[in-house]
Amino acid sequence: MEFDKDSLLKLGKLSKIKIDENKLSSLSSDLGSILKFIDRLQSIETDNVDPTSNSLDQSLVMRDDIALDENSAAEILENAPEKELDFFSVPKVIE
Amino acid sequence: MKAGLNLIEASELLANNETSSVELTKFYLDNINKGEELNCYNTVSSEEALKAAESSDKRRKEEKSKSRFDGIPIGIKDLFCTKNIKTTASSKILSSFVPTYESTASQNCINAGLISLGKLNCDEFAMGSTNKTSYFGSVINPWKSKNSEANLVPGGSSGGSAAAVAADLCIASLGTDTGGSIRQPASFTGTVGLKPTYGRVSRWGIVAFASSLDQAGPITKTVEDSAALFEIISGHDSKDSTSSIKQKENFYDNLNSSVKGMKIGVPKEFKSDNLSASTQKAWDDCKKLLQENGAELIDISLPHTMDALPTYYIIAPAEASSNLARYDGVKYGIRENGKNLIEMYEETRSIGFGDEVKRRILIGTYVLSSGYYDAYYIKAQKVRSLIKSDFNEAFKRVDAILTPSTPSTAFEIKNEPKDPVQTYLNDIFTVPVNLAGIPAISVPFANDENNLPIGLQLITNSFEEQKLLNIAKNVQDTINYAPNLDKWWIK
Amino acid sequence: MMNGWELVIGIEIHAQVKSNSKLFSSSSTDFGSGPNSQVSLVDAAMPGMLPVINKFCVEQAVRSGIGLNAKINNKSIFDRKNYFYQDLPQGYQISQFKDPIVGNGFIDIVLDDQTKRIGIERLHLEQDAGKSLHDQDPNLTFVDLNRSGIALMEIVSNPDMSSADEAVEYVKKVRSILRYLDTCDGNMEQGSLRADVNVSVNKPGDELGTRCEIKNLNSFKYIHSAIIYEAKRQVKSIESGERIHQETRLYNIDSGETRSMRSKEDAHDYRYFPDPDLLPLEIEDKWIEEIKSTIPELPDQKKNRFIKDYNLSEYDAGVIVSDKATSDYYEKVVKNRGPKLVTTWVTSELFSILNKKNLTIDESPVSHDKLGELIDNIESGKVSNRLAKDIFEEMCETGKSPSDIISEKGLSQISDEGELEKLVDDVLLANPENIEKYKKGKDKLFGFFVGEAMKLSKGKANPKLLNELLKSKLNT
Ligand SMILES: [Mg+2]
Ligand SMILES: [Zn+2]
Repeated sequence: MEFDKDSLLKLGKLSKIKIDENKLSSLSSDLGSILKFIDRLQSIETDNVDPTSNSLDQSLVMRDDIALDENSAAEILENAPEKELDFFSVPKVIE
Repeated sequence: MKAGLNLIEASELLANNETSSVELTKFYLDNINKGEELNCYNTVSSEEALKAAESSDKRRKEEKSKSRFDGIPIGIKDLFCTKNIKTTASSKILSSFVPTYESTASQNCINAGLISLGKLNCDEFAMGSTNKTSYFGSVINPWKSKNSEANLVPGGSSGGSAAAVAADLCIASLGTDTGGSIRQPASFTGTVGLKPTYGRVSRWGIVAFASSLDQAGPITKTVEDSAALFEIISGHDSKDSTSSIKQKENFYDNLNSSVKGMKIGVPKEFKSDNLSASTQKAWDDCKKLLQENGAELIDISLPHTMDALPTYYIIAPAEASSNLARYDGVKYGIRENGKNLIEMYEETRSIGFGDEVKRRILIGTYVLSSGYYDAYYIKAQKVRSLIKSDFNEAFKRVDAILTPSTPSTAFEIKNEPKDPVQTYLNDIFTVPVNLAGIPAISVPFANDENNLPIGLQLITNSFEEQKLLNIAKNVQDTINYAPNLDKWWIK
Repeated sequence: MMNGWELVIGIEIHAQVKSNSKLFSSSSTDFGSGPNSQVSLVDAAMPGMLPVINKFCVEQAVRSGIGLNAKINNKSIFDRKNYFYQDLPQGYQISQFKDPIVGNGFIDIVLDDQTKRIGIERLHLEQDAGKSLHDQDPNLTFVDLNRSGIALMEIVSNPDMSSADEAVEYVKKVRSILRYLDTCDGNMEQGSLRADVNVSVNKPGDELGTRCEIKNLNSFKYIHSAIIYEAKRQVKSIESGERIHQETRLYNIDSGETRSMRSKEDAHDYRYFPDPDLLPLEIEDKWIEEIKSTIPELPDQKKNRFIKDYNLSEYDAGVIVSDKATSDYYEKVVKNRGPKLVTTWVTSELFSILNKKNLTIDESPVSHDKLGELIDNIESGKVSNRLAKDIFEEMCETGKSPSDIISEKGLSQISDEGELEKLVDDVLLANPENIEKYKKGKDKLFGFFVGEAMKLSKGKANPKLLNELLKSKLNT
């Protein structure tokens, strides 16, 4: 089973992964194979089943509203591949 | 120094002043050096380790040791963020990342005085069962098949963590398990691997793969070590909203290997044609053994066992596609230039991620995208509920479940199948446990006809790790499995 | 309605929760200091970082929901909204999609004495994004994450509004309620409250038109003019045979026009799914009741009470209660004083000076005690209303108390009969012809005598006594 190539390119756009022309074919056959595999679930009867998104049976623990000053700008920017002054910098964005 | 020391033995040597932390640390750094070919470590932090060892020895002299394990060197999967030490998740995209913070689990180790020798190789972002997806190359399994020189996979994703313990490149290690990533490599390397109940060990500071499935745990030489290291790393963490509020337990002190009167379930769905004859035999032998030791065997059914893997391959990639969105070349990691922001993102992520990671991001994006969300993602979450309720039903009748850890033993690195789905089948026995959030352990039981270790998996209900460790200890103590590993890498 | 077209407006308000720390991290919400200085590891989406929810923000959302007459949901879910943007470090925004913390509610707005009920669809909690600076460098955009992760309440209305005026009244009312509840400071200029406005047009009886969303409007004026512009644009397009595309638009404050947002052109698919890092948020009825018991009197209730207790007109009451600080000020002044006089002073003198100086009531140069003191002086007859206006002006300039000004300038009213009599006698003595005319029936001249006497007293004569005295002297 092949995964439709246009859909694959669209997925690449959505997930911001450039898909090389020369990998398109192998990738679409890989994804096709995975898709075929997960399609197995379609035959399972789940009409009255609630979905589980986390197995931990606990309600959300909340924290108190206390502000802590833990990180300096320098620390936050330490690993940034590019920065200007105390800002992260990216190629110019036109809104 | 005696080779193959475990945590308990090392702690006794230290307590009796028969060795020092510095001596132990040097010994293991030397082992790491000699074992370079195995490619277990992404980063060896010799200087930091020796400095920590000196402090530990000083504490011991002053009778201020942090715990009975103070001064023992371990290895840490390169998925745990470690302060001022490079943390890469074995990915190119993070290959330059040096965290300014320490994960809770590794900090717990530091708090107990354990010493980190370095960061262990793994599959990229923990996605894989062979360790071949690592940007830094495959880890090589220290085991070899009887009549072959071919290199074998150590399993994955915690391949470096398992291989390092097996090859004695550290005394014990930390791994993470999202779909079997501790148990499967433990099984392939003759080590003990524990996947705790979801929520037992804080995920704070561990590079996320699939948040609702990821759980850190120990890979060790013995069940006792597993109990001890698990005890060290577990406990509630207010920085992780999915951390259980349950009290920490004294798993090591409370070890009790009796299985008398225990009911052990044997699920019929795990008997598959894919199971190798020797694995089937080991499983049967273990059933017999437990029976002889006083346990009762009960045939059970986990009807959705075969649905677990496809469920996993929807949920895990879905979560991963979102968790890995933060690797965009802006805040940390590598950046590839592009003529605008979008191109910068696309180039960075295309070059920064390996093929398997990209496949999973794409699949994850697909199953969450509009028009497919209900058919895939919601469906998988519903099947997940069915899998969980299978286990709930089973645990009404049994104390624990016994299965093989993997369908087969370690295979050759060059033999990985072309179709990714074939590789996924490695995790067929381990994945249901992650979906249900329950604990499981892989213990080495025997070697197959090629002299490769076979692991068996024990599973209990949520938060019943004590029972799990007790049964595992019973098996371990009865069989007395001794890995007869030839250290071929030492020339 | 414009040229046979109907306007349909729905509004999403983003209101920053007034809290010390962010929604899912402990970093501070105030940005006095430099860029990226209030950023935690969580806000910067460092690997392995996890969100932990701020209880106070949850409480404020519940409080706001109660103020919007809405249903509080006992169980709500946090979802991830996935998209890539430079101001979104995680690559997703934690928000609430299917199961928000607050469900259906409503508020009433008053326009031209007509009350209209606007439905609230929901209120949910979500993270604010960082800020981008596009004008610092010709080739780069700078990103500051100080705002990243601050709690926002997104309040979504039903598409119940049909004019720009209604839309503005709606936002004003929501803002007023949040400020009463003290859950959001409502500072639109600083962006703590901003509105996304959905506008569509259709012919009466037809189904709804395609809507466009104008993002991030941060003043009532912009909301108003953006809607007017956008409605006209849509009508013009349709009338010239074009189709309206559903899109996000930006309002240009300089040109007053809206334009399509280039960066959002990509078809988006947010792939919402429950955040696996967060468990369901459960809120017990007991907690909701506790919060309910701390809800202050809200504008509508207060307005009714003011009308009843202080005999205010519907309009005056509406103006005074629309701002909590104003109503507090009013209530402090009106305590033990005559409401009529107080209302006049607050709505005319005080409001006009505040308007002129562009100040809020909290910044008023005249405190409520000092205004009260001035009114006391009027009520006791110590100063005349006219003189009081001069004193008030001086109070505004100098910040002095009325009694200080009165005593410094000797402005105290002359009520002493002997002194007044002397004044009156002086005036009468100086104007014998006018007395003649008055006595012959030119009654209007009475005012002339009053004026002269006032002038002579430098405005200090007690007008009532002066009147009486003049009357008796002239009529004898
Ligand atoms: Mg919105
Ligand atoms: Zn929003």
